Amino acid sequence: MNWHAVWAIYNFEMARTRRTLFQSVVSPVISTSLYFVVFGAAIGSRITEIEGVSYGSFIVPGLIMLTLLTQSVMNASFGIYFPRFVGTIYELLSAPVSYFEIVLGYVGAAATKSIIIGLIILATAGFFVPLEIAHPFWMVAFLLLTALTFSLLGFIIGIWADGFEKLQIVPLLIITPLTFLGGSFYSVSVLPPFWQKVTLLNPVVYLVSGFRWSFFEVADVHVEVSLAMTAVFLALCLAIIWWIFRTGYRLKN
Amino acid sequence: MNGHDIVRDYRASRSLIGLVPQELTTDAFESVWDTVSFSRGLFGKPKNPAHIEKVLKALSLWDKKDNKIMTLSGGMKRRVLIAKALSHEPRILFLDEPTAGVDVELRKEMWQVVRDLRDSGVTIILTTHYIEEAQDMADRIGVINKGELMLVEDKIELMRKLGRKELRLQLQKKLDALPPALAGYNLTLDSDGSELVYSYDTQGERTGITALLAAINETGIRFKDLSTRQSSLEDIFVGLVGHK
Repeated sequence: MNWHAVWAIYNFEMARTRRTLFQSVVSPVISTSLYFVVFGAAIGSRITEIEGVSYGSFIVPGLIMLTLLTQSVMNASFGIYFPRFVGTIYELLSAPVSYFEIVLGYVGAAATKSIIIGLIILATAGFFVPLEIAHPFWMVAFLLLTALTFSLLGFIIGIWADGFEKLQIVPLLIITPLTFLGGSFYSVSVLPPFWQKVTLLNPVVYLVSGFRWSFFEVADVHVEVSLAMTAVFLALCLAIIWWIFRTGYRLKN
Repeated sequence: MNGHDIVRDYRASRSLIGLVPQELTTDAFESVWDTVSFSRGLFGKPKNPAHIEKVLKALSLWDKKDNKIMTLSGGMKRRVLIAKALSHEPRILFLDEPTAGVDVELRKEMWQVVRDLRDSGVTIILTTHYIEEAQDMADRIGVINKGELMLVEDKIELMRKLGRKELRLQLQKKLDALPPALAGYNLTLDSDGSELVYSYDTQGERTGITALLAAINETGIRFKDLSTRQSSLEDIFVGLVGHK
């Protein structure tokens, strides 16, 4: 195991985050605060409790998930796409590093960054609404698993993309809509029965539901199902990445 | 590679190699120090600021170590690429056309660095279109034509085997044609008739120069000066590639 290489990649990526501290950390915090002002204070004051939880508190796990998913995908996709774009990928491909080590470095850094942002948002939420975490261990577990899974997805997108536009398409056109429609701001139970079934096709529902359960013990689907689905997404992403490195897809040309 | 299988034992083989690509593929926002240190880590070596400092000083980049790469000139970026390739103390250095687009002064500096590396025991594999560079620098030469390695040969041996020499005799009076008495010699008259050019093989048992000069003397042709010229590596290269 080339730990020096893993650390070099990780550190290099984290240095990029430190260089762009404002857009990396401050902007997600500001946009989350705006969500609290709009949904929590303006609209939330007119909505009564959802399953015994005040609306302002109810949306916190969904908001964290929204940021966690988009940040994980964007950080990881940009991290691997940029060396491909400028050509410095040659160094990575000629270095004595295994595919696993490359993924560990890039995905580890992307996941770390999005977890930090997620925790900052959690702390920011504490200023707006009362927060209690019923299962801190599972809260951290869902946070880690989701950040890891979507950073892997971001890594795949970063290799698949052949332009900056494609890099933006997935977070903007797929991740954000799925998160909004995945019960981030509402309980799936308020939907008509047909749409409840359709919603279950949305993978984000399971992530948000499990994460929310760790806070309030309130869930749209069983927490075991949430965990199992998260594990399935993780395994799927790992399988795709294994295939990418095995075939050299978009890496060696 | 040095006894290591390049597929099965890729870590050991790759860690021996430093690669300087032809294109200026550098990061933009990182500092020189950070990008060179990153390369060292990537190749599995622990931090060694003293070595990075030595490399940057050797490449005249020390005063730019904190500069962002995007602020450097093309020549400096080229040197950053070399510094990255040297950061992990490779035993084999691939230089892919390192002087393409580099000004004369910097080119000289770069060659000095390459010479020093060679003297320190690093094997350097240099690809270049400038044959005079190869002639000046290389110990062994390989000629690649259309992706096919035509030969690999010790430079001196190659020039000895494939090189030819020319004797040029500058005539006192111009000639219209080569006299018939000299037809048996491998002799040509240059286009304006002022020089006789004799090509000979330095490796032959006899160069034929003595007999030729005697024959010229008999014809009454007088010459005012003479010179000899060894064919360059470029001539050999053109001869090799041209025949293909």
